[in-house]
Amino acid sequence: MSLAITQGLDNTVERPGERAPLVLGDSTYSSITESVSQIAERPPTKAWVIGFMISASLASWFGICIAYLIYTGVGVWGNMNPVFWGWPIVNFVFWVGIGHAGTLISAILYLFRQDWRTSINRAAEAMTIFAVVCAGTFPGIHVGRAWLAFWLAPYPSLNLWMWPQFRSPLLWDVFAVSTYGTVSLLFWYMGMIPDLATFRDRSRNKYRRMAYGILALGWSGSSRHWMRYEKAYALLAAFAAPLVLSVHTIVSFDFAVSQVPGWHTTIFPPYFVAGAVFSGFAMVLTLMIPARQIFSLEKLITVRHLENMCKVILATGTIVGLAYGTEFFIAWYGQVAEEKFAFINRAFGPYWWAYWIMVTCNVISPQLFWIKSNRTIPWRIVVISIFVNIGMWFERFVIVITSLSRDYLPSAWGYFSPTWVDWSMLVGSFGLFFTLFLLFCRFMPIINMAEVKSTLAGQLHHHHGDH
Amino acid sequence: MSEHTHKTKTADDPSFQLPASFGSLAVPLAVAGAALLIVGCLIGFFAGPGEGVQPARFTMSAYLVAFTYCFSISLGSLFFVLIQHLVRAGWSVVVRRVAEVMMIALPALAILFLPVIVIAWSPSGTLYQWGYEGYAASHGVPASMWAEKSRYLSADWFSVRSIFYLVTLSAISVFYFRLSRRQDETGEITLTEKMQALSGPSVMLFALVTTFAAFDWLMSLAPMWFSTMFGVYIFAGSVLAAHCAIVVVTYLLQKRGAIKDEVTIEHYHDLGKYLFGFVTFWTYISFSQFLLIWYANIPEETTWFYTRIQGDWEVMSYSIIFLHWLFPFLGLLSRHVRRRPTLVFAWAVYLLLIHFIDIYWIVMPEAGIKFGGATGLLTSLLITGGMVTLYVGGILWFVRCNQVKVLAVRDPRLPESLAFENI
Amino acid sequence: MTDKQEKKLHGTYAEFDAVDTLLAACRRVRDAGYTKTDAFTPFPVHGIDKALGIKPTALPWIALACGLTGTTIGLTMQVWMNTIDYPYIISGKPFFSMPAFIPVSFELTILLASFGAFFGMLALNGLPKFSNPMFTNPRFDRVTDDKFFLYIDAADSRYNHGGVTKLLGDLGGAHIHDVYDDDSSVAVPKPLFVIMASVIFLSLIPLLLVARMRVTTSDSPRFHIFFDMDFSPAKGAQSASSLFADARAMRVDVPGTVAVGQLDEELDFYTGIDMDALARQDKPRAARLVRALLYPDDPEAPAATDEPAVAEGPAKPADEPAKPADEPAKPEMKEEPAPVATADPIPAPATAAAVEDTTPWLKENPLALSLEVLQRGQTQFEIYCATCHGNDGRGNGLVNRRAQRILATAWVQPSSLHQDTLYSDAYPDGKLFSTISNGIRKMGGYSSQINVRDRWAIVAYVRALQASQNASLDDVPLDRRNELTKEKAAVDRKLAEQAEADRQRAEAKAKAEADAAATEAAVVEPAK
Repeated sequence: MSLAITQGLDNTVERPGERAPLVLGDSTYSSITESVSQIAERPPTKAWVIGFMISASLASWFGICIAYLIYTGVGVWGNMNPVFWGWPIVNFVFWVGIGHAGTLISAILYLFRQDWRTSINRAAEAMTIFAVVCAGTFPGIHVGRAWLAFWLAPYPSLNLWMWPQFRSPLLWDVFAVSTYGTVSLLFWYMGMIPDLATFRDRSRNKYRRMAYGILALGWSGSSRHWMRYEKAYALLAAFAAPLVLSVHTIVSFDFAVSQVPGWHTTIFPPYFVAGAVFSGFAMVLTLMIPARQIFSLEKLITVRHLENMCKVILATGTIVGLAYGTEFFIAWYGQVAEEKFAFINRAFGPYWWAYWIMVTCNVISPQLFWIKSNRTIPWRIVVISIFVNIGMWFERFVIVITSLSRDYLPSAWGYFSPTWVDWSMLVGSFGLFFTLFLLFCRFMPIINMAEVKSTLAGQLHHHHGDH
Repeated sequence: MSEHTHKTKTADDPSFQLPASFGSLAVPLAVAGAALLIVGCLIGFFAGPGEGVQPARFTMSAYLVAFTYCFSISLGSLFFVLIQHLVRAGWSVVVRRVAEVMMIALPALAILFLPVIVIAWSPSGTLYQWGYEGYAASHGVPASMWAEKSRYLSADWFSVRSIFYLVTLSAISVFYFRLSRRQDETGEITLTEKMQALSGPSVMLFALVTTFAAFDWLMSLAPMWFSTMFGVYIFAGSVLAAHCAIVVVTYLLQKRGAIKDEVTIEHYHDLGKYLFGFVTFWTYISFSQFLLIWYANIPEETTWFYTRIQGDWEVMSYSIIFLHWLFPFLGLLSRHVRRRPTLVFAWAVYLLLIHFIDIYWIVMPEAGIKFGGATGLLTSLLITGGMVTLYVGGILWFVRCNQVKVLAVRDPRLPESLAFENI
Repeated sequence: MTDKQEKKLHGTYAEFDAVDTLLAACRRVRDAGYTKTDAFTPFPVHGIDKALGIKPTALPWIALACGLTGTTIGLTMQVWMNTIDYPYIISGKPFFSMPAFIPVSFELTILLASFGAFFGMLALNGLPKFSNPMFTNPRFDRVTDDKFFLYIDAADSRYNHGGVTKLLGDLGGAHIHDVYDDDSSVAVPKPLFVIMASVIFLSLIPLLLVARMRVTTSDSPRFHIFFDMDFSPAKGAQSASSLFADARAMRVDVPGTVAVGQLDEELDFYTGIDMDALARQDKPRAARLVRALLYPDDPEAPAATDEPAVAEGPAKPADEPAKPADEPAKPEMKEEPAPVATADPIPAPATAAAVEDTTPWLKENPLALSLEVLQRGQTQFEIYCATCHGNDGRGNGLVNRRAQRILATAWVQPSSLHQDTLYSDAYPDGKLFSTISNGIRKMGGYSSQINVRDRWAIVAYVRALQASQNASLDDVPLDRRNELTKEKAAVDRKLAEQAEADRQRAEAKAKAEADAAATEAAVVEPAK
């Protein structure tokens, strides 16, 4: 069945009363299968190989730095009295934030019946998991004696003869991030089962077929299976939606339950969540736009998808801006001397540059998305998204570093400077992230074929109904 | 199914009109409501609530509760309308007019806010204690701090801001209401496009105004207390209340035969999901606010919760956990409940009552640590009951006089909404 | 074909191209009364549940049950661990901090509910299932691509091979196919098997090594992967340090430092001497005593006291009585630090003649006497003193008995505490205290082991002990006499019984020996 009608259509324009198509061109079920599967079936492209080599080198460098850190001790970082939560925690919060878009797209947009999620949810979920991997690394190595990090688990220990401290938000964090990682992994994997079965059924090579066959768990496409599968998917979405909110909420508790000026403010939970979604979507766009170009997926990941994500960035960016404003206002309104000082210090103290980078990138740059051309021309989206990512990294920098470097007592003030290890680990974590993402692109179905086909079926049905 | 029935109906179908029995109630309700409101105020001022409570402050606080209660429903409805346009929702078109009708009460509510503005000028701090000159001295607040703070919390500046909030919100709601009604006549698609295009900036303005209105009108009742989350907290309650009100109104309209075929189980199912979702959201916001303050344990902040576990308020504070979270959470958890319009309606009525308790709990403890005894209770109930009756009567009267249809009959997305089915 | 006839027939399916034709076919099949049917599709088809008559799943209940389990585990775990089993105060929060327990309970609820949904789905679907007869037909591979299949199971009561084939054909199904058992080989390919076996084998090696190390001991020091602060740069006690001129690693107290809890009482309490009186009588000695108390570690102290000690030297030994070891001696205040003190006693017996002890000893125990103090004194006495002096204080403790048994030559018999010279009139409490603190003759001082209050308690107990050995029944309060008499009678009876038993045993032994001797003699006799 051909759908020439959607060919060359600008699906960013939607007449009220009609829904713009989300699958373009003369796509059919088998063309969707073909365009997604061939990415994993053909030999890797040169761009992929080069990208993989660069990111794998960075990832190895990350590993070497971790080994050096563990061998030598945390003194190799710039963390120094009074800033004991230096870059590792900045990176941790940054990566956890990146990890929010995936589950948000999969779960919350699913609950809101946003069909445009189907083309991007798989890659976004994968990013979630890789970002959580990167995020989990940092607190793991930040505990000092990383080899004893398992003491965080509530296991009956004959050596310690005691239990973890459940009234500490840092332990909540352990539970939140590990639960989030696990549930995201389940969600991602469950979503992939039918597509892995597609890979299995397309494999000519015996071992390849066996490998994908094991991963596909014997999926046959039975309607009964689909029925339970969809129910399980809806349930997981319903569980993951509050989970995704809880994770960054709990990360914000790490800061907000304390009494450090600039950390203790009640808006932190929703504001952190909005910021996480904001940065996560920016990262999805940063990765998906090149991927869509390289793998020729323009018919499935259409400009409309990109535009919708830009709108989400605009919305969450504005919420973040409102939260900055509210914080500043309440710091003045509350008339608590330390709190007032903390905010003035952020904007005009020794880290003024970080603050203004943050404001420019997070509040001003997304406002460019009010202009339609900025939402539809891919390279512009990438540029703005990268600014947003930079801004969100600096937001965590501002929160962690400025507040700690100016505590209550001027005698305890200091200035934080990162070392080469800090820099290497930041860059290296990106290497790890990209390595995992590139491996994923190479071996796994990067678009949820079954769901896109389902969207296409709806589109066909609608057409059929109209005529 | 519904698609077929709709096709036989024209835009002038009588089932899109306000049922006559409702229309005839308009004036009696409005009059009775106003009367109750006045009687309540008089009892409050002159009979005087029980010991330990200042009659004037108590009465004005009760008035603020009643106002906030009605206002929050309209505010939430405004948000509902804006957000449906912002995300170009299709499913909700059949109930959007109900929300619009509640939203258009905002300009009228602005008038009902005038007494609050007037009382804010009272030099003895009758309602807002910051109005009292000696507040700093009597509460041990350093003079320099107070000088800075009263630059914001002063009667003139407060009035200017309040008028700004009310005018802004009224303007947005009038704009959206007019365009939506014009579409009833013309069916122009460009109207929808226009509403969509302006929904973004409107939502931004809405967020700003709601946040600061919550700070000014409710948070400043405790002048020294502050919480950045407070605006979100009020927002969460308002949106929940608006969804409940939409369910209640829709259900009652259907009982009288209006929009009987248009709103289906599927829509109740969705509204039920939103009730559940916003109950959870409210819990999330209020728990986060409490946890952060409880954990950091800074006296400037704990005072607000401390006040609310004193005297008569303690029981109420703990009950809210169950009433506002646990019971509705468990009650709405099941899909089977959400697919039964009567049960969704019952939970919506329940949540509207609980929303009143929530507002009461936010405002009244600042008026004293006691409920104010039987007279106090009578005052509160009369004032709120009167205000709500007046609110309902006024809306009905407006709808009847202007022949407002209860369905956006020519919305381009109406067919989509009619054919809507949950997955 | 004949092959196939022997294998079990599972059912029949037909292939469809589009959702709409599939749905129509499903409805027809359902309406035709078939119940054991299924459709296979590349994506979930909306409305197929109704078309096939599939019942809703119980999955939500499974997830709910798992979620509630998670909540329960979360709450009980935290309450047990932080409130009951290992409670400790942190940031001023109560042991039972409900708000702080909510985040983890929430996370566990979600975690377990998700497990319930995911694994419940797999279990209900019977997955993983790697061998499925449906997969035998290569055309079926397109079920995950773009084709739709409608399947009717052979177990259906209405199943009739010809009828079903015709029905499916009529409904527009193509490539109608019968499903038979899968007879393909189930063997794992050899290279894969080898790889897997070697991976498993290699991964076992480190486990085995660790397991072996856990059960064997080794002389070589621990292998340090992580130093874990095992090698501290801090200096141990008594080790040399290059940091200080005196090469000592540990610093001595600043002169004049008084540690918390020391010197809280009057000087008399620490010396057993009325210091005011002593100062009037012998100022240098008093000064020396005070200095020794204040600066126990002061290296200057010996020099400072040297002069008077030497000056006093000839006089002091004169106090030292030359008496037999088992007689109580006048104790010497070992007020001087070690060097002087050790120098003193040796010349003492040679030169000294008895001179009256003029020291103004405290006559009375400064502690307020009570049963508690006496009991404390008894405990301490039985720990420190009774080993030599015996529980009864007669100088025949365990150590003494052992010394006699091994005929220790250097042993000096401990004094009995029950002699006139040691009663309080001759030997004031203060002096007794001083003896305990500083020692006498072979007995070392106990001031470093027994705290000052306990030393006074011992003094009190010794007085009570002395009194007990010289008391008559009349000294006992009336109401306790009966009890005592009974007890005495019981003890006497026991002693008598024991004596009798001993006597009998001795007799028996003697008799046996006599008999043995007689027998031996009898045996020896004939041999001669």
